[in-house]
Amino acid sequence: MNAYLGIDIGSISTKGVIIDEENHILASSYLWTKGNPIEAVKQLIKELKKQVCTKNLSIIGVGTTGSARKLIGTMLNANIIKNEITAHAVGTLSLYPDVKTIFEIGGQDSKIILIENGIVVDYAMNTLCAAGTGAFLSSQATRLGVPVEEFGKIALTSKNPTKIAARCTVFAESDLVHKAQMGYQKADIIAGLCKSVVANYLNNVGKGKKIKAPIIFQGGVSKNIGVKKAFEEEVGCEVIVDQNGHLMGALGIAILSKKAPIKTNFQFSITEDQFETRGIECNRCSNHCEIICVSKNKKLIDAWGNRCSNGDIMSKQR
Amino acid sequence: MNKITIGIPKALLYYKYKDLWINFLEELGCEVIVSPNTNKQILEDGVKFSMDEACLAMKIYLGHIYYLIDKCDYILVPRIKCIKKHEKLCTNFSALYDLVNNVFDKNLIHYNLDVEHKEDELYAFTTMGLTLGFPYRKIVRAYQNAKEKEKFLKERRISKQKSLLASSNKIKILLAGHPYNLYDEFIGKQIEKILEENHIDIIYSDQYDDKYLETEVKEISPKNYWTYNKEIIASIVHYQDVVDGIILMTSFPCGPDSLSNEMIIRNVKIPITNLIIDEGDANTGLLTRIESFIDILEERRKAR
Repeated sequence: MNAYLGIDIGSISTKGVIIDEENHILASSYLWTKGNPIEAVKQLIKELKKQVCTKNLSIIGVGTTGSARKLIGTMLNANIIKNEITAHAVGTLSLYPDVKTIFEIGGQDSKIILIENGIVVDYAMNTLCAAGTGAFLSSQATRLGVPVEEFGKIALTSKNPTKIAARCTVFAESDLVHKAQMGYQKADIIAGLCKSVVANYLNNVGKGKKIKAPIIFQGGVSKNIGVKKAFEEEVGCEVIVDQNGHLMGALGIAILSKKAPIKTNFQFSITEDQFETRGIECNRCSNHCEIICVSKNKKLIDAWGNRCSNGDIMSKQR
Repeated sequence: MNKITIGIPKALLYYKYKDLWINFLEELGCEVIVSPNTNKQILEDGVKFSMDEACLAMKIYLGHIYYLIDKCDYILVPRIKCIKKHEKLCTNFSALYDLVNNVFDKNLIHYNLDVEHKEDELYAFTTMGLTLGFPYRKIVRAYQNAKEKEKFLKERRISKQKSLLASSNKIKILLAGHPYNLYDEFIGKQIEKILEENHIDIIYSDQYDDKYLETEVKEISPKNYWTYNKEIIASIVHYQDVVDGIILMTSFPCGPDSLSNEMIIRNVKIPITNLIIDEGDANTGLLTRIESFIDILEERRKAR
């Protein structure tokens, strides 16, 4: 049976799915990237293999998305490498054809995607500031001595959320410390923090956008029920969190790889291969570009990062 | 007698006045040295000599000045306060000469423009020429010739863009922003490169015939007094019916753009995205933004 592999490699977590011709998820996995996308993907592929080893699958499409999409796409010889905004939209639309708004808060970035009649019409991403993303929440969780997974549940117990400055992470943090020293309850502070994440998101990323229902909320932070509730209070309608919300990017890119005109041939044995990346500084002009070389079993397979043709290592090899 | 050599930094207003300045100076018999495209060294030098809060374009400018030091007799640094009555420019442009003079203390040549105080273009060129020791009549003639050449080159570029608009069926994106952002190797060119790799036709906001500027600008912003931003806005109004989308480019942190961009984003009728470029080197975020923007434009075309 033909199948397609989609991998979404984010800054914090790596997600992967295998789908069949009807977009049914045959296998899925989710693990931490831990700053090493190549190892994470190998691990991910092993996990996926375990789930489908009884079926006789031939994987003829591989798609990669997320911030390490190029590296992993090269490694797996993907037939499609696409940005995460499009991938998330396609994945979500396959399950919720009439969705109009997608909120996404991940480890380091947050996005809003607006959809009309099944096509993306507008999007926004956080710009120079990472306030209110997953990384901020987990660092504040550590500060408060609460596991981040518990955050949502604790937030729900609060009857009187503390107001916390939302505009900037630095101010939010000092405000949070101040409120704790003043004697506010932990649950109230945590609920306030969830509210501040939402306020920050709507004022930054969602600024000036027309938010229409149905709204789907995804990304790692969507697992935090406190943030979901704060969103619902703020926008005044239900915000849907899908159980598989974290897999939407991977699902989307798997579907896109199915639609791509060129097919690829993927073998699970790729986990046996040795992949290496190496950064070298090019000294051929005053730009001093840092070029990333990727090699498979000690053989260079791709390189990028050069601003000019002086640093085009690949074409010099040929 | 040896030729006087004049250095022009390839940054900021160079991109607006290059035809005029270079042709004028060469007509007078000077040798003109233009600094190279911005590279990492120039950017790093610029950052070293600037204060933190200066905008990226300004930092780059100081890097170019540093490059030109000791390579020429004079460096041309404009001081432009006002080029249209009752309108304003970013204060950086009027502070530029004194700022550079303070930081580097080298031989500079000025180009002072302030039409509200009777210092028009002819005045700017005459004082520049007289400072260099040329006779008045020669200066005026050089100015007139340079002006004509500038007009010719501008018209040629506009008509080239017009024929691109008419001939090709590819997706077209209007790159809108100040020319010193659009054409800088570290700001606009990296965006241009991504667009070209994706087979997009690029239309530039500064290749625009400003004949109807005053009426066109009012469609988006009726009471705007930033001269350079008015040009960008008018150009957007002019081109928005013939392109698929607009990329609005800003160097971080630009004051006038922060006002004018909001006005543009709220009032245009086609997809628009705002890219803010700072001195950081990572263009992953940039790539994601541009690629997904192109995806949107492609989907829109298919749906039509």
